Amino acid sequence: MAANQHPVRLRVDPVACDGIGICTHLAPTLITVDSWGFPIVAGHPLSKRDRKSADAAIAACPRRALFLDDLPN
Amino acid sequence: MSTHVPSFTEPADRPTAPAWLLPTIIRFPRAGSEGAQRTATESLFEHTEVWGAFPADAGREQLVDELVRCKLTGRGGGHFPVARKWRGVMATAGGGYAVANGAEGEPLSAKDAALLQTRPHLVLDGLQLAAIATRAEHSVIWLHAGATATRASLAKAIAERRVAGLPGPHIQLITGPDRYLTGESSAVVNALSGGPPLPTFRRKHSSESGVNGAPTLLHNVETLARIAAIARGLDPTGHVERGGIPSALFTVLTPTGRTVTEIRPDTTLGQLVNSHVAETPQAVLLGGYGGNWVPWAEFQAIPASEPAAQLQGRSTGAGIVAPLPTDGCGIAETGRILEYLADSSARQCGPCLFGLRAVADLVSALARGELGRADRKRLERYRAEIDGRGGCHHPDGAMRLLASMFTTFAVDVDLHLRRGPCRADTGPRLIPVPSA
Ligand SMILES: Cc1cc2nc3c(=O)[nH]c(=O)nc-3n(C[C@H](O)[C@H](O)[C@H](O)COP(=O)(O)O)c2cc1C
Ligand code: SF4
Ligand code: SF4
Repeated sequence: MAANQHPVRLRVDPVACDGIGICTHLAPTLITVDSWGFPIVAGHPLSKRDRKSADAAIAACPRRALFLDDLPN
Repeated sequence: MSTHVPSFTEPADRPTAPAWLLPTIIRFPRAGSEGAQRTATESLFEHTEVWGAFPADAGREQLVDELVRCKLTGRGGGHFPVARKWRGVMATAGGGYAVANGAEGEPLSAKDAALLQTRPHLVLDGLQLAAIATRAEHSVIWLHAGATATRASLAKAIAERRVAGLPGPHIQLITGPDRYLTGESSAVVNALSGGPPLPTFRRKHSSESGVNGAPTLLHNVETLARIAAIARGLDPTGHVERGGIPSALFTVLTPTGRTVTEIRPDTTLGQLVNSHVAETPQAVLLGGYGGNWVPWAEFQAIPASEPAAQLQGRSTGAGIVAPLPTDGCGIAETGRILEYLADSSARQCGPCLFGLRAVADLVSALARGELGRADRKRLERYRAEIDGRGGCHHPDGAMRLLASMFTTFAVDVDLHLRRGPCRADTGPRLIPVPSA
């Protein structure tokens, strides 16, 4: 990650999410599914490469349930 | 200030009022907020005699400093530092809401009903101090619709304050459905904003957007009562190290009902249980349905003071103490509580909707002796998957309870897996659980 970029992480709004799971195919290194098919999102700061797949998943989510969040310092 | 002391049912060492939040020990039936052993509601006149006039001159900055000094934490169960919440809302332009959360959704708890039915003015003083300090335009007290006795006590108190012309915004009494989740903070904010009384997921955590998007300060009613005492120079925070006036407020489940009582924070939870329950329990449910099972030997030594309890890695939560007698089955009790929590889900989030049900089914099957060792691994995996993944903290409480079942009843879990149900499985249930 570039030094001038603010660290962000990927998060999911579980109320909005319908658990169809498109996101896991677009960001398999960041998103896995639980026993009921709902996404488990890795909470680490995103690298440049992570950021690319995160953006793809965010754009594809039909419920707009995925979002980027500033990491708490 | 008067030293009027009610003389009935008080321990001999009870200091003069207002050293305690409650005028007396109050007994409730095993379930519900109704039917408290009759205790008089303090009128505004009596309240002023005991506590002194409304502390209208408690400056906002001085009061927050005092809340910091007292290390007051929230009594809705989470023990979040009160001053930090106030500072967040005070940094806004104001014009929003001050909310007293009196929903008391946890079925084992009765301390909020006890306070509101005996000392409504102490809570309302706290609410109005919070409203004035945060420049709120609206003061709201939020209750379960079925809390008839509490509503009556508050309606009378609000009318008395209006006649007396006490400072602060007009106090609105608003009710929500008699459900477990009605008292969860985002459900309260949602309902007061005109939405359904269900929890919502907040993408940003801030005190800047609450009811109708306006700055909102929400506190449990016991927290507000303590604020009202602190504003008068009293310090009933439960912090012995602060000197002042210590007390810790608990609801204790007994074989015949629930007792709401206060003890000195330099005593232990073991002493609390021993003074209300004759039989030595095998374990105690501390903090209610979303709390922890604690083995008796360990429970006995937990300090009644929250900061001291936290040093031992424990929390008194919202002060709920439910002893499990030796003839009970901790697994069967946990199963029933988990079923209630699953039924109470707002069914909006996958891990909560599907996960809690799956876990409740498995624990109930375990109690019946129908699970094998592989199922135990499955339960552990589910627990790890559900924890922290709801839109609100509802599932987290359920998973806390489950984790504590595995540690506190480890031997019993093993026996149920290898040999089937215990005798207690067919016996009476000992922790009351209503239908959701
Ligand atoms: C599932 C759930 C249920 C809750 N129910 C209540 C309740 O009935 N009453 C209450 O005061 N707080 C309840 N809370 C805590 C509130 O969300 C909130 O934190 C609290 O009222 C804030 O007040 P305090 O800062 O004075 O503790 C609940 C929390 C959760 C996660
Ligand atoms: S794509 Fe969106 S709605 Fe679908 S599972 Fe992923 S986060 Fe949930
Ligand atoms: S976690 Fe459960 S109770 Fe909380 S918002 Fe989601 S579905 Fe509702």
